[in-house]
Amino acid sequence: MELAHLWGILFISLHAMVPITLAAIGESIEESAGLFNIGLEGILLLSALTGALGAQASGSAVMGLVTGMATGAIVGLLFGFISTTLRGSQLISGVGINLFALGFVALMLTVMGAPGFHSVAREVQVALIPLGVGNLSPLVLVTVVLAILAWWLLQRTQLGIWIRAVGENPAAADVAGIRVNAIRLGAAIAAGVFAGLAGAYLSIDWFGAVTKEITAGRGFIALAIVVFSGLNPLLALLGGFIFGFFDGLATWVATYPGIKEIIPWQFVAMAPYVVTLAVVAGAIGRVRFPSALGVPYVRE
Amino acid sequence: MFASKSLKKQIEPIVESLLAGLVGLVIGALIMLAFGHNPLAAYRSLLLGSVGSVYSVAESLAVATPLILTALTFAVAMRGGLFNIGAEGQVYMGSLAAVSVGLLHLPAPFNLIVALLAAMIAGIVWSLPVALLKLGRGVHEVISTIMFNWIAHFFAFYLIANVLTDPKRGDRTISIIESARLTRILPTATLNTGLFISLLTVAIILFLLWRTSTGFEIRAAGYNPHASHHAGINIRKQVLRVFLIGGAVAGLAGAIQVMGRPPYYAVMSGMPQLVNLGFDGIGVAMIGRNHPIGIVFAALFFGGLMVGGRIMQFDPGVPFELVRVIEGVIILALAVPELRRQFSRLKGRWGRKE
Amino acid sequence: MKAGIIRIASLVVALFVLAGGPFVSSASAAGKVALVLDVGGRGDLSFNDMGFKGSDEAQAKLGVEVVEIQSNSAADYLPNMQNAARSGQFDLIVAVGFLLADAMAEVADQFPDQKFAIIDVTWLGKPNLMEIGYEENKGSAIVGALSSMVAAHYGYDKIGVVLGIEIPVLYKFEAGYRYGMHWGNAKYAEKTGKKSNVGLLWTYTGTFSDIAKGKAATEAMLAQGAGIIYNVAGPLGIGDLEAITEHLEAKNKSAGPPFMIGVDANQDYLGDGHRVLASMMKRVDFGVYSAIESVVNGTFKGGVQILGPHNGGIAMSGKQDLADFIQFGVSGGAISASDSGQITSNWDAMRKDIPQWIWDAVAELQSEISSGAADVPCGWCPDTIGDIRAKYPD
Repeated sequence: MELAHLWGILFISLHAMVPITLAAIGESIEESAGLFNIGLEGILLLSALTGALGAQASGSAVMGLVTGMATGAIVGLLFGFISTTLRGSQLISGVGINLFALGFVALMLTVMGAPGFHSVAREVQVALIPLGVGNLSPLVLVTVVLAILAWWLLQRTQLGIWIRAVGENPAAADVAGIRVNAIRLGAAIAAGVFAGLAGAYLSIDWFGAVTKEITAGRGFIALAIVVFSGLNPLLALLGGFIFGFFDGLATWVATYPGIKEIIPWQFVAMAPYVVTLAVVAGAIGRVRFPSALGVPYVRE
Repeated sequence: MFASKSLKKQIEPIVESLLAGLVGLVIGALIMLAFGHNPLAAYRSLLLGSVGSVYSVAESLAVATPLILTALTFAVAMRGGLFNIGAEGQVYMGSLAAVSVGLLHLPAPFNLIVALLAAMIAGIVWSLPVALLKLGRGVHEVISTIMFNWIAHFFAFYLIANVLTDPKRGDRTISIIESARLTRILPTATLNTGLFISLLTVAIILFLLWRTSTGFEIRAAGYNPHASHHAGINIRKQVLRVFLIGGAVAGLAGAIQVMGRPPYYAVMSGMPQLVNLGFDGIGVAMIGRNHPIGIVFAALFFGGLMVGGRIMQFDPGVPFELVRVIEGVIILALAVPELRRQFSRLKGRWGRKE
Repeated sequence: MKAGIIRIASLVVALFVLAGGPFVSSASAAGKVALVLDVGGRGDLSFNDMGFKGSDEAQAKLGVEVVEIQSNSAADYLPNMQNAARSGQFDLIVAVGFLLADAMAEVADQFPDQKFAIIDVTWLGKPNLMEIGYEENKGSAIVGALSSMVAAHYGYDKIGVVLGIEIPVLYKFEAGYRYGMHWGNAKYAEKTGKKSNVGLLWTYTGTFSDIAKGKAATEAMLAQGAGIIYNVAGPLGIGDLEAITEHLEAKNKSAGPPFMIGVDANQDYLGDGHRVLASMMKRVDFGVYSAIESVVNGTFKGGVQILGPHNGGIAMSGKQDLADFIQFGVSGGAISASDSGQITSNWDAMRKDIPQWIWDAVAELQSEISSGAADVPCGWCPDTIGDIRAKYPD
């Protein structure tokens, strides 16, 4: 395998890492506060669509990303509202969000005329940074920075302590004067923003188009990465990279002549999942979740 | 039967769910209006299409049949305090096991039973590692089940294309043998005797969870692991039990789907008859409040929604995508419990404003 | 309070049911047609979308009303068609895709007076069923020859094909492409006197929806020296094209080579008109349209029709197709009218840059195939794909 190939795989890994890590970072914050949002997939899908539309309407990639983040924030707000003020079931609303998004994006694509997909003009896609050995999306760097900031937020700031307190023991936090539902709502919005950014990345950066199934299960992989990382955004970076690496490696190597005789493509395709599982089983093991995860807080 | 509650308290959650469903339908109607469709006509189709004739009811039941089982997989785990979202993969494995029984060339009467048993074992084979990883290495089941679902997805592809392939039709497995097929109840609908297997399973799970010490231990461990542990319950055993039951039931769902739903009786490449049975089962379980009886009703509701949605497509022509959107809205509405209490709370707060 | 709600609710329900009555057959200009799709549904960037195009054209030109019925899961196929047939409203029920074959077999028997048509299926043989099959292998052979000759011309030693799920339908594409590649190599050697040994890179990504796999596979193939990438995985073509676009951008170029070859629909207008060299068009729209037309004209007959290069059912994209699909794209909002001029001129330049003898050779192969002189392998062959891979190696 030549060096150029290794660079190619590295870049694919980094680009694949972005959406799942971003969504995982946001969800780590949210789960630290005690909310479990299974609807990440839906948020990714919706913001992929709105991000693309926003970029085209404004003529700027950055505005597209912002539109995606705003979409995520709105859905996050809805989810947070249902989960806190209305004390609804987080799991059911997450499922509802996913179903809604699937239908809505497909519906919008049919209404927008071109069958099945919507291309994003090259000019409004995120510009890649040419590095000689390949082109890097600036969002990779953004992801790394956000991971560090999120970690720092959770572990080193007063707000982080409050977030984690609210997730661990909301009653005690309440007594201590922390506004439980406000923090949870904020965490839900934050998670939405991260997932929204991830979704917009898919359409205006990585693929340059929106299709009705553009997310391909990445929202659920993000949930798995959250577990993998133990709610630690830095580990989410690692987990996202490992997954992206083996996913990209599998697809890349499958094109080599002669590989097919040795190992059928289905087993090559399994690689990222098997490896992620092996790493978790071998190296990471037990993960501690906040005690009040998934339980609506009711002040007695 | 249930923990001693007054009848009123048992009815309340049902009324709340119905109210929530209504709220969802209203919002759905607004969305349909926005897209220029007539919501009254659409809902009429939905209703008639789902329960308006013997055929429709049969179809709704047919769709509900496997969902009941995959919902039970999730619900039993939830009762035990665990999050088993691995039904998707277990369903694939169960269906392929049922198909492979055809390779054994057993005498006719045995095929059906052996196929069902094989499917349950296959489901267990796929769920047991999740339990073992949790017990042995502390791997949380969310991540292991998601990974196993995907591994099953690709492994199924491999088996369908290379091991169990039908020599005449390369896009599917060998067919389920005639003697192993579940009989159709109505000649025209896709409903089959798998329904009875599902309902029997519901009865068994109901009995198991609330009338046996095993069930008691599972529920206790789910409710309060610490106290249960101190009371002498082996928490580790409950994890195993829950995943064993869940895997067997999900495998059964896969088997029934391929042994019973015409016209295929084989697993097609890409598993189009099996995809999403696991995930939809999660939604059904949650709406059914993780209770076997509730699950049956929730599955019927889902089935009705899907079957009625088919009719909505061509009369009055609500596009498929919009049907999905409405389904999502209805489910979102169902997420909110205690709607009446919410309304009165909100009213109260407004009332108090000066 | 609760009793009151229940009473109101039942009243509302009763109103719905009474206000409607049984399904009312709506009158329509020239007839009513149902289009039943598989789980791929609309937006597969592939044959389903082409089927929609055909039915839209039938609505516009023939005045029929077309109702589209999509399926949630394979278990819906039979009930969807039964519902349509049972309603008695439809002059024709068209099923798009081979996945619907088994259900069609049952429904066609159940409703002998209902007219049916099905795409991509040729083996059922019912008197009330029009079966329309396509020769994708022949079309793939044509673009395969084009690919290997163009690749050799520009100095590449590989061409690639990115496929979806490994099913027999896709074997037709793979087999044809291999045949075409070898034919093109021989032709190149014959015409230029230089030996051409363009080889094949191929992979089944296992998905028709995860675009990332298309992009990664294409990047891998480009890194291994591929000059043409043939997309046989629907939406993954978007990923393929994005990889090619970025590859070119890194060299400060916008026009290929490397090129992509589109499939099913005309995708030449993507990539600004100069990154998609050609498309292997499978005119599912013609098939659907002609089926509907036959019912409107009263000439409907059960039986099998094969659409291929000999009757325009399968074709390599040409200039008129580009214009048609640009029109389609503009009216759908996918491209702005102002861009269409640029796209067309880019496309012209891309095609002119390739020596005329290559285009002539492609036309030659096309007529050999149409006349039957060329024996392109494989209809639907699960166990002989191995033989084909051996006979026309990578």
